Amino acid sequence: MEGIKGFFVEFGRKFSQNFIEKNRWQYLTDGLLNTLLITFGAVLLGFLLGFIVAVVRSTHDKTGRMKFWNAIAQIYLTVIRGTPMMVQLLIIYYVIFGSVNINKILCAVLAFGINSGAYVAEIIRAGIMAVDNGQMEAGRSLGLNYRQTMLSIILPQAFKTVLPSLANEFIVLLKETSVAGYIAIQDLTKGGDIIRSQTYEAFMPLLAVAAIYLVMVMGLTKLVQLLERRLAKNDRR
Amino acid sequence: MIDVSHLYKSFGELAVLEDISEHINKGEKVVIIGPSGSGKSTFLRCLNLMETPTSGTITFDGEDITACHGKELDRLRRRMGMVFQHFNLFPHLTIRKNITLAPVKLGLMSKDEANATADRLLKRVGLPDKAESYPNMLSGGQKQRIAIARSLAMNPEVMLFDEPTSALDPEMVGEVLDLMKQLADEGMTMIVVTHEMGFAREVASRVLFMADGKILEQNPPQKFFTDPKNPRLKDFLSKVI
Repeated sequence: MEGIKGFFVEFGRKFSQNFIEKNRWQYLTDGLLNTLLITFGAVLLGFLLGFIVAVVRSTHDKTGRMKFWNAIAQIYLTVIRGTPMMVQLLIIYYVIFGSVNINKILCAVLAFGINSGAYVAEIIRAGIMAVDNGQMEAGRSLGLNYRQTMLSIILPQAFKTVLPSLANEFIVLLKETSVAGYIAIQDLTKGGDIIRSQTYEAFMPLLAVAAIYLVMVMGLTKLVQLLERRLAKNDRR
Repeated sequence: MIDVSHLYKSFGELAVLEDISEHINKGEKVVIIGPSGSGKSTFLRCLNLMETPTSGTITFDGEDITACHGKELDRLRRRMGMVFQHFNLFPHLTIRKNITLAPVKLGLMSKDEANATADRLLKRVGLPDKAESYPNMLSGGQKQRIAIARSLAMNPEVMLFDEPTSALDPEMVGEVLDLMKQLADEGMTMIVVTHEMGFAREVASRVLFMADGKILEQNPPQKFFTDPKNPRLKDFLSKVI
């Protein structure tokens, strides 16, 4: 009995030391806010970039047009997918924006967005290529032009196919932002780490950080499931 | 109405169409038959430039469509309906949307007009209660009838049918052919690639036999089926009838 009681007393003391004293919980909430800001911005940028690159690449594959832009897209994909995320972040912060005073969060949004865009591009392109060629032909035979057919016939179907992979990419992105600490952004991970450095107590803050990531990912997963179910309504047979 | 002259088409090294010249009049029902790989589908698909001919010209109503690009081509395609072997309905849209999408997107009809047209066409193809269904909920025969309705919504002057019953279960072939006969009776100009000899005999004003990328023989159905001249055609007919 004494042992169990002692455990709870100790747990309570450590909890209070790590989170209550000196309002240390604010390291986590402030960090969480930054993590969410970076993720949100990077998702938007990544999606936009990925979408454009995917359309350029598949238009090139299907019609042979846009040779120049396709070459640019190829270089982008090769460079981004061929180098580590963290190196890209450091290069963008210390090299590209090294001599100007730029908001670190914005810098991180750019780095993570540009990185994510490369993966999103290949996901969406796979979705576009997976739509049967007959769909494009049917659209064109009705007199719709390439763009109209792409927008109202091909892309809606492509998105439905790639939604799970796309969601997965964004979940990876959310977790990947944890390296933002390397350019001295106080994100969620860094926040937990600061508490650890102040209290010399690793267990509590790091587990709290992990738990917060986990809850966010589970929430996102749930959201995607709902969306998928909504989109699947025309699959009933 | 459609004038094809010296049409060649090859895919890389493979010559699919070799020097085809043909004239199709308004109101004609031309049925094209032939063994697989004979180029009949490719020929049909050249007529609305789904395939780009390697050389030769195709004129539609006096307009050289092989010289058309971009907008001109899109405008020409509106006047030619196409029905595919695999229906190619848009699976993410309701039947109503499948039919109204193109007329509305292209600004030819208002939403209300298009909806009224869709209802009228659905009644005509015998599926008035399917407007809010999705393609996956329909049988093959129903899908093909919807695909025909979708083409008709554009008020085409010619209808191209690319093996419209080849992907259907046998018991569903009849309903699609009946609809096509009905269209033919109403005077639609039709070019049909098919293996349905009964349809060719009954509906065609002219039957073409293609093999090895050439039109080897053509005649009105009566003569075509009873008095074939070309040995390849004789051989083909003996196998399919």
